[in-house]
Amino acid sequence: MVVMRKSMLQSIILLVVLLLTVSVFTIATGGSASATEKPMDQLQVAVDDILKILQSAELKGPEKKDERHQLVLNIVADMFDFREMARSSLGQSWNTLTPEEKDTFVGLFTTLVEQRYIGKIDSYNNQKVVYKKQLVKGDKAMVYTAIIDKDLEIPIVYRLAKNKGKWLINDLKIENVSLIVNYRRDFDSIIRKEQFAGLVEKISKQLEKPEASN
Amino acid sequence: MKRSFILQAGCIVSLLITTSHVWAGDAADFSAAAEAVPLSVQAAGADGSEDDAWEENWENEWESTDTIADPLEPLNRFFFHFNDKLYYWVLKPVARVYAGFFAEELQISIRNFYDNLRAPARAVNCLLQGRVRDSSEEVVRFALNSTVGIIGLGDFARDVLDLHSSDEDFGQTLAHYGAGGLFYINWPFLGPSNFRDSLGMFGDAFVHPIILLDAGWEVTIGAWTLERVNYTALTLGDYELFTETALDPYAAVKDAYQQYRKGLIENK
Repeated sequence: MVVMRKSMLQSIILLVVLLLTVSVFTIATGGSASATEKPMDQLQVAVDDILKILQSAELKGPEKKDERHQLVLNIVADMFDFREMARSSLGQSWNTLTPEEKDTFVGLFTTLVEQRYIGKIDSYNNQKVVYKKQLVKGDKAMVYTAIIDKDLEIPIVYRLAKNKGKWLINDLKIENVSLIVNYRRDFDSIIRKEQFAGLVEKISKQLEKPEASN
Repeated sequence: MKRSFILQAGCIVSLLITTSHVWAGDAADFSAAAEAVPLSVQAAGADGSEDDAWEENWENEWESTDTIADPLEPLNRFFFHFNDKLYYWVLKPVARVYAGFFAEELQISIRNFYDNLRAPARAVNCLLQGRVRDSSEEVVRFALNSTVGIIGLGDFARDVLDLHSSDEDFGQTLAHYGAGGLFYINWPFLGPSNFRDSLGMFGDAFVHPIILLDAGWEVTIGAWTLERVNYTALTLGDYELFTETALDPYAAVKDAYQQYRKGLIENK
């Protein structure tokens, strides 16, 4: 028990010291000057902007839903590389498409992912986002984050690539489930039976449905 | 027969508690560092040469989930639709009423309670995978949360001592020793699984307190139902969102299960 208390005291001191170091460091670097350099900083800025929209008092309420969604989607469009995601979600089939088909598919895919994302965001209720670490190699990176939701920590890992000086997300794993891999298996299951045309038709139909869930 | 088993288990438990004392001290120190990670955002960037292996495996590591055989697909799809209807027609309406009666804090406590009941299985499986330390941590968690944590309703061990649970089960233990999933099974009521994890579920049941205490099947089913309703109340909307933004929800759920389990097996 004594050992325990001592080590707890130690950890508290350590925490305070760390907190101080971090705050000093933040003051020293003067905030956003280097914010766009590192993928985690860039991600955090974007996520913070989204959270600001979701927490904003003026944008609350169901009647502001469309406005809120549009603002969030504007930021999302800047965070993700939807074309790369669409390509990767199709796997081999992508190469067999004409440029027009590719464009159509990117559009449909983007809306599909946005729908899933915006649906999740609608249930946002002041969950805390924590940024754990980033791994950077050249123009590729992974950023480890988590959301604390109802007392549970849900890990979310982003995979990013640098494109014209900007880090863009090309996949994310929520509890180890990759969004792109999951869509690839999903699409595969349709393509095998109904080819690409069937897939396009199915996505279009899906998007016409009234908005999903509660 | 049963008594001697419990006695044996008791011996193992006390042994583990003694060993766990050795490291309980420094575990708290580690936790302080871990807690500080999100705070030290700027300092956390490991963009040095830390992971050379990571770069090589980077694409493969990210996407190496193999697809699982599905010889039972027609039957699995049938039960998938059965479970889907069960969700929309029974589980969801019940969970909504339930959520209206019980505050979220209570729902979290109830989830903790059920989670705590799986601690013995986690401890055994950690041990079977040679993770003595994690195993003893589970034992300490179980002992503390069942007592100070009020029959597991609170997570005292995590909140105060920062002892975290290791999400291990017998399916993962089998995988640890090389067993593959073999083929996909979508159980009625229980949902997605595979051959290995179904065996695992069966194995873990043997060390579940409800089974150990020899409760009647009514109690077992009742307890399981409450757990499901409680879980559904806490995750209302998630299932709908996922399946409604998938094109072939069956295929999407099957893959999500695969990826999720793979992550747990590799302890990512």
